[in-house]
Amino acid sequence: MKILDLLRMSADSLLKRKVRTVLTVLGVVIGTTSIVVMISLGIGMKNSMLEEMESYGNLRAIEVSLPGRYSDESGGETEEKYLDDALVQTLSQLEYVESVSAILQTSAIIRAGNYECYANIQGMSIEAMETMGIPLGEGSYPTPGDELKFLYGNCVISDFYNAKTNVYEYWETGTLPDINLYADPVYVIFDVDKYYAAGGTDENGQAILPPKKYMVDSCGMVEGGPDDWNNYCYYVYCDIEALKLQLQRVFKGGVIPGQPIQKSGKPYKEIFYTTIYVNVDDMEHVTQVQNLITDMGYETYAEAEWIESQMQEMNIIQAVLGGIGAVSLFVAAIGITNTMMMSIYERTKEIGIMKVIGCRIRDIQVLFLAEAGYIGLLGGAIGVGLSYALSALVNRIISSSDIGITKISQIPIWLAGASVLFAILIGMLSGLLPSIRAMRLSPLAAIRSE
Amino acid sequence: MAKTVIQVKDLYKIYRIGENRVKALNGVDFEIERGEFCCIVGTSGSGKSTLLNMLAGLEKPTRGEIVIAGEHMEQKNEGQLVLFRQAHVGFIFQSYNLMQNMTAIENVALPLTFQGVDRKKREKRAIQMLKLVGLGKYALHRPGQMSGGQQQRVGIARALVVNPEIVFADEPTGNLDSNTSMEVLQLMKKIVREKNQTMVMVTHDNYLAGFGDRIIHIRDGKIQQIEDNRLKQKMQEEQNIEDNQNL
Repeated sequence: MKILDLLRMSADSLLKRKVRTVLTVLGVVIGTTSIVVMISLGIGMKNSMLEEMESYGNLRAIEVSLPGRYSDESGGETEEKYLDDALVQTLSQLEYVESVSAILQTSAIIRAGNYECYANIQGMSIEAMETMGIPLGEGSYPTPGDELKFLYGNCVISDFYNAKTNVYEYWETGTLPDINLYADPVYVIFDVDKYYAAGGTDENGQAILPPKKYMVDSCGMVEGGPDDWNNYCYYVYCDIEALKLQLQRVFKGGVIPGQPIQKSGKPYKEIFYTTIYVNVDDMEHVTQVQNLITDMGYETYAEAEWIESQMQEMNIIQAVLGGIGAVSLFVAAIGITNTMMMSIYERTKEIGIMKVIGCRIRDIQVLFLAEAGYIGLLGGAIGVGLSYALSALVNRIISSSDIGITKISQIPIWLAGASVLFAILIGMLSGLLPSIRAMRLSPLAAIRSE
Repeated sequence: MAKTVIQVKDLYKIYRIGENRVKALNGVDFEIERGEFCCIVGTSGSGKSTLLNMLAGLEKPTRGEIVIAGEHMEQKNEGQLVLFRQAHVGFIFQSYNLMQNMTAIENVALPLTFQGVDRKKREKRAIQMLKLVGLGKYALHRPGQMSGGQQQRVGIARALVVNPEIVFADEPTGNLDSNTSMEVLQLMKKIVREKNQTMVMVTHDNYLAGFGDRIIHIRDGKIQQIEDNRLKQKMQEEQNIEDNQNL
């Protein structure tokens, strides 16, 4: 039998029993809808969580630092490791690594008018800033090769305290210090230790003079007001090469705070980096690359690390939700089997006649499987349509309240397609037993007198 | 000598009903030649229907051989039997057994549909068959809109549309009044004769059986008597011609 004729014949026999078909299809509609809506809720929750995570930082980045940097015990016997250009080179040649950027971190006191701030300065390449996607509110990123210029985080201003009263005015009174970091140049004191010690005497009894102040211009501000938290808001950024030059000029061969010292007590010639960020091409590869770097003997941290465990939890929730939906589809499947069984009992004679006048046994099975498949297809398609409507409704209700999640229910196109296919599959599975029964019916039934 | 199409050798069919064994067929032998119109006649319970079912491969014999068109029916499985029926056999039922939701033309074309013939081709052949049985105008009617005689004619058209070598008819006129019965019977006979097809008809009516070329009388699962009508018919025809000449 031609496949088209087969399909047409089973469609015809479905149409012949309209009420029953509609009722059975309704079961599948409800089953499909409950699964799709449940899963869409899971996807929505997962995506909104991911979005939130992404605002914390780059999910594809691995932060590499020296082992035991925060505990002094590991120093000494072990082989000395530093974050230098050679390491940057090695890391950038690892598989899956897209880019590597080094960061030199230092602290300095920034002085503007009567206000002072103990600032955390991050020197990095302009490419790194672009990769990190630091959002600009005003101005631009620093220009490479230019002299040292600062890009201020939007919350830095709230960290300025009045140097005369030692009061953090913004925190105490809520008023911002009367300074404009973007427009006016500031004075920077790099030698913080000396600054605090100034006025006292050193071990030789000589008076310590206050360190030199350097005037630094600003090139831009990170987007946002002093209350808008983001990943970049409390840092002061600058070009790493300019910062290196500046530090070498300030300390003139002396020990730069935060830099390692040789056993002889003398500083290294090179300025080492504080941290190195490794950007991996895909979130999936983060763990792999991270393990590789850890094995090289460095300390690593990736945001993706704890997101993974969060994701697993989310997957479990999604599976549970889907499972609840699956129960109703299971009930619908039993409904299909029942309908098909009934239909076969009714059509015993018809099936017999078909066999007598030359319908192949396999064709009879396909006829009934196709019929059950149609029920699945119809139910699945209508169910997916209904799911889109329900999902839109849920999203509308959620967005009108202020939970902060924009789209709690999301139905990606793959979910819609997979659901319809799944419904067809369920339909055909439910029709399998009845179809085998039909196949085995005796043709004799056709000629038995009624 | 005419070629033998159906050969039945020492055929037994024994049903078990509870503890009892009922011999529906108790050793039957006969042969049917090509182009023959053979009637199997007997009372109800004589085993005539069982015999027909086995000839058409709808039931398996307990013992014995059935050779149709050179092939052993008792050795085939159900799938092979279907293919055999597709290729060689047409079947006419007592209660017409048309598909109620299909039109006359679709019903007639159904065996061709099962064979995988193109829609255009099969509908062309179906309409030819319908015209042959005199129902050309009823092509788009459904069984419910037709009389018993018309429905049976659709049934005949359906059986003959595949050009089978052998046509089996199970009490084809059982549900019809006597006038219609005669019409239907004459129609079947005419078409089958024209195409030199073999027809085996089962009936309980001795009068209707009398139209066959040969009549096999069955009683209690055994052949009682085989009557050959062809000699009688020939003599009758000659007699008629003589009579006409005399007039």
